[in-house]
Amino acid sequence: MHFCLLIGYGASAVNPYLAIETLEDQAARGNLPAGMTFETALKNYKKAINKGLLKVFSKMGISTLQSYRGAQVFEAIGLSKALVDRYFTGTASRIEGVGLAVLAREAKMKHDYAAQPVSEADTELDVGGSYQYRVRGEYHLLNPGTVSKLQHAVRQESFQTFQEYSALVDSQSRELCTLRGLMQFKLGDKDQPVPIEEVEPAAEIVKRFATGAMSFGSISKEAHETLAIAMNRIGGKSNTGEGGEDEARFERDANGDWRRSAIKQVASARFGVTTNYLVNADELQIKIAQGAKPGEGGQLPGYKVDEVIARVRHSIAGVGLISPPPHHDIYSIEDLAQLIYDLKNVNPRARISVKLVAEVGVGTVAAGVAKAHADVVLISGHDGGTGASPLTSLKHAGIPWELGLAETQQVLVLNDLRSRVRVQTDGKLQTGRDVTIAALLGAEEFGFSTMPLVSMGCIMMRKCHLNTCPVGIATQDPALRAKFQGTPENVINFFFFIAEEVRQWMSKLGFRTMDEMIGRVDRIEMRHALDHWKARGLDFSSILYNPQVPRRVGRRCTMAQDHGLAEALDYKLIDHAKDALEQGAPVDFQLPIRNVHRTVGAMLSGEIARRYGSAGLPDDTIRFQFTGSAGQSFGAFLAKGVTLTLEGDANDYVGKGLSGGRLIVYPPRTSTFLPEENMLVGNVVLYGATSGEAFFNGMAGERFAVRNSGATAVVESVGDHGCEYMTKGLVVVLGRAGRNFAAGMNGGIAFVLDETGEFAGVLCNQASVDLEPVTDPADMQALENLISRHVEATASPRGKWILENWEEMLPKFVKVFPHEYKRVLGIPRYQPAKAEAAHPQPPQVVPAAASLKHQEAAHG
Amino acid sequence: MGKVTGFVEYSREAPQRRPVAERVSDWFEVYQDFSEDKVRTQGARCMDCGVPFCHTGCPLNNIIPDWNDLVYRDRWRAAIRVLHATNNFPEFTGRICPAPCEAACVLGISEPPVTIKVIEKTIIEHAFSEGWIQPEPPARRTGKRVAVVGSGPAGLAAAQQLNRAGHSVTVFEKADRIGGLLRYGIPEFKMEKRVLDRRLKQMIAEGVEFRTNVHVGRTITGAALQKDFDAILLAGGAEQPRDLPVPGRELNGIHFAMEFLPQQNKVCEGDDVSGQILATGKSVVIIGGGDTGADCLGTSHRQKAASIHQFEIMPVPPNDRAPQTPWPLWPLQLRVESSHEEGGVREWSMATTSFTGDENGRVNKLHGIRVGPAPKFEPIPGTEFTLDAGLVLLAMGFTGPVQSGLIEQLGVALDARGNVATDSSYATNVPGVFAAGDLRRGQSLVVWAIAEGRRAAEGMHRHLVNRESPLAEDV
Repeated sequence: MHFCLLIGYGASAVNPYLAIETLEDQAARGNLPAGMTFETALKNYKKAINKGLLKVFSKMGISTLQSYRGAQVFEAIGLSKALVDRYFTGTASRIEGVGLAVLAREAKMKHDYAAQPVSEADTELDVGGSYQYRVRGEYHLLNPGTVSKLQHAVRQESFQTFQEYSALVDSQSRELCTLRGLMQFKLGDKDQPVPIEEVEPAAEIVKRFATGAMSFGSISKEAHETLAIAMNRIGGKSNTGEGGEDEARFERDANGDWRRSAIKQVASARFGVTTNYLVNADELQIKIAQGAKPGEGGQLPGYKVDEVIARVRHSIAGVGLISPPPHHDIYSIEDLAQLIYDLKNVNPRARISVKLVAEVGVGTVAAGVAKAHADVVLISGHDGGTGASPLTSLKHAGIPWELGLAETQQVLVLNDLRSRVRVQTDGKLQTGRDVTIAALLGAEEFGFSTMPLVSMGCIMMRKCHLNTCPVGIATQDPALRAKFQGTPENVINFFFFIAEEVRQWMSKLGFRTMDEMIGRVDRIEMRHALDHWKARGLDFSSILYNPQVPRRVGRRCTMAQDHGLAEALDYKLIDHAKDALEQGAPVDFQLPIRNVHRTVGAMLSGEIARRYGSAGLPDDTIRFQFTGSAGQSFGAFLAKGVTLTLEGDANDYVGKGLSGGRLIVYPPRTSTFLPEENMLVGNVVLYGATSGEAFFNGMAGERFAVRNSGATAVVESVGDHGCEYMTKGLVVVLGRAGRNFAAGMNGGIAFVLDETGEFAGVLCNQASVDLEPVTDPADMQALENLISRHVEATASPRGKWILENWEEMLPKFVKVFPHEYKRVLGIPRYQPAKAEAAHPQPPQVVPAAASLKHQEAAHG
Repeated sequence: MGKVTGFVEYSREAPQRRPVAERVSDWFEVYQDFSEDKVRTQGARCMDCGVPFCHTGCPLNNIIPDWNDLVYRDRWRAAIRVLHATNNFPEFTGRICPAPCEAACVLGISEPPVTIKVIEKTIIEHAFSEGWIQPEPPARRTGKRVAVVGSGPAGLAAAQQLNRAGHSVTVFEKADRIGGLLRYGIPEFKMEKRVLDRRLKQMIAEGVEFRTNVHVGRTITGAALQKDFDAILLAGGAEQPRDLPVPGRELNGIHFAMEFLPQQNKVCEGDDVSGQILATGKSVVIIGGGDTGADCLGTSHRQKAASIHQFEIMPVPPNDRAPQTPWPLWPLQLRVESSHEEGGVREWSMATTSFTGDENGRVNKLHGIRVGPAPKFEPIPGTEFTLDAGLVLLAMGFTGPVQSGLIEQLGVALDARGNVATDSSYATNVPGVFAAGDLRRGQSLVVWAIAEGRRAAEGMHRHLVNRESPLAEDV
């Protein structure tokens, strides 16, 4: 953090002399681990700093130190404007705060503490307690007192004990743990208290509650299902997280319980995001970022990926899974709008939510999200669950939801967008008071993660990444999972206690319904008696600003979004496919297509999944042959049993989330150009595909088959970043692949025809993969078969030429084999013999003329 | 942290007690030695919790995960530094603390908890044997004089802290030896007094002055103390025993536990005690089922009583943690101390109605009845009984500090329960007079006494140097 801050504000070099001297001293005292010298320790220290810097750069979406230096990617909280303007010019600081005098005093206090003897004969440095609770260290909202009180309350069903817990949390908030702790309610006499009996019942309020996105994988099956059962019983919503969901959970249990998560998350990794997954949801949540670790995705270490998790995530057991920071199909708000449209097509019954993190400017993003037709926008705060976050994210990353929520509400109201989008917030909501403040600041719905986990037995080990959770929550170890003691009742009690406390506050504030309360920021003020010497300069007026707008402008969601589904071509497709959908009878139609037809095939696929689950229909049951130029997301989430053939070309996102269907695209038969040298499909093709096949007789754009986890594809050339983060499946590239191929790829296999040696030489990112010749007979056979099928499906002249020259071309294929995948299969890393180059033969390019000749032959 | 998977790989293993037949025939400590290798393995079981409940379960807030880890890593010297940073006398707590830390250990939710207590004891014993425990006199003296009244664990902890902070400390003790209940109360078989002497030697070398046979309030007045010292700490304990006002209480042979136990302590020290109260050959009845009762029990075994009964008025607790005391609370559950293992009959829900004696006025019978649960303890008709009783020991707890004498002389205010009242800096209503330990919080554990002594020392230090802690928030 120190290095990041200094460099971010412009430092070209940092000399951590005290740290270095400390290492030297520790080495001299013999306190380093056995066998470690000062030099090694220093090397390790530097390496750790460098890795930390890289991690932070990547979180911020910055690739080079040069771009990061002086980028000032910070927001200050609690610094006075005068101080920021003078020393951190240009940095946002929205609630004022301390100035130079207080900083000086604090520095002097630390100096005095070190320099003067204090009461106790201190022999040890102060314990700090930043990351782990220590009595004399930093205050933590979750401490032995609050954790055990809450657990006792939900287990004994004692509202009284829960109120003791709340009192501990709320009073601690006033010990300056949170911004909301510095607020108080305006209990004016204008709004008389209402009798508690007249306040909306708790059973209604709990429907506004959701549990947070914690994946199956990060937490155990038992914990994940307990949350789902609890939320389904009370009419709230649980969230899959980004780890997919076992289809066995989609059906209700015999006793009426439902282990299905109402919210299905669609995150950057698209783990397990199949069509069947999407249709089994009431809400589809697009996670742009996580409040607790903005800019980062989940990271599941290989030892937590067992067979079941691998199956649900469509990956390989034992192989670690990294959720990439960005969605590779979202680089702009228009891209987001497209994804929202895609998801709405697959499952028109689900509402679409977009999860954003609180940061300065989130209001503008939220406005864009509202315009992109999201039904819900979630503002996630920084305080939330951070058990498995890297240390660089635990502190100094993200900001409180109070700030983000207030900004979002203000911007949406000022732009008259608030009435068509619901606002949810999360980030360490702990008590009824927290929820009440969130409602007054503008939230209609509320997410909780840590506290439901604590209710189920979590004791904040902060060891979620080690697979050693002793209470069976954040572990996949069967022996530890057996120790899980949580019940749905624990979780239900927690939510009802929260709702009951909200009711008590509503009664005091004079609100009968939650709806009346949303956005009533006029009922909050800053605490009068802010007597802490460091809190005196704070000014919450930017949080408590109440935009003055005409009465017709809504302050809460009152209408539905118009998603523009009416124009979808899929209504026609579903109509044509009626016999197939209802009786499984094969259908075959030929239709023209235009680029206004977006997401063709998705709604049809949703219908198939709804009826037939992930099994879909028998191969080729539904065939549509299009002619023309397809719009974006052609064949997205295409289900098994559907084959879409396109003669023409297609835009971006072809086959996004492919779920078993088959896509065949080739250029117009009448064209005279060389297919392998012409763009056929756009960018981000097959992103997040989970199964199915695709044959593209032409070039694909950038980011081809990123996060592929099971689809098979043949393409004749791809742009940069092909097969990035791929975890499973098979990709064959019959020509040039762009830069950074296979970055972060840890499963599946790719075969690339590398005629020039350029691919193996520079283009492929070999950090996580080996490049090998294709020598395994099974590989050779599979490759040849696949190319044959490609030729069969698309009449590819290049494919045909390659097959005809198979003996000569085969040695030019490079097998891209991820290290992790090999490790799991027990195959040793590839060691090419020194003398023998990877490409023994001189580069030889397929003669264009020859290829053209084949094409002529093909088209007669 | 210890070993990441240590708690999965290793089971709890704690030191064994010596065979009963062997230990009841001597006065040495009951536990057998436990190898350091085993202790290190036990340290590996610590999970280094994000929220370590042991750390708050311990009244001293010992930084338990840190020294568990250091022991696992064989870094004993660092371990004793961390341990001593919060606990002046780990050799006492490592022996006689009931270990609320272990009751709060997170591993205890589903497994036997980490053996924190034996790890603590091993760290300090290792440090003593290595010669690492040396006097730590202050670098300079403040010139302030402090009187500590009472030399139990609270007084000793405060004295060491204040002395190390540079104040000149004099400890007053009414008995003939230093140590309070550690000396006269805790039986030798629970903590051999050499352990206490070893620590006192260090304190004397550090410059703490000890004055025995001085009963402040009687031998010298509170006013004299106020005149001679800049601050006074009252750490005289909660010595007022709870009595049993039933017919026959006045008979000979009925004694408070604190009359009985110290005499044996003196004998173990090598003193001659004329007319010692002895259980030898008698039918002993101990009234009170707590720790003091257990100490009377063990002492009676070693004095070769003919028979021993121990009565408790509360119902028998469950064998495992009672539901009303869920983790991480101190569990209500049946405990089998070493003394219980050694013999005797334990009975619950028993109330004594009267004693009768022989013609010499010596007790020979106890008359009692079984009772229902608290708070009414309703007698159950038809369960009356009579039991032979040659020696009756009353171990029913203590009601608070003895108020006559010093407390009255100084005019110190009491709280509703009769304990000395203080503010959060442990200052009483009388300027310059502070209080700590059982005298302030009521009868409690050694670990609480040490904690109170340390906190009172901090309050006194601030008072003496007239300075707020430099890191205090409300400057």
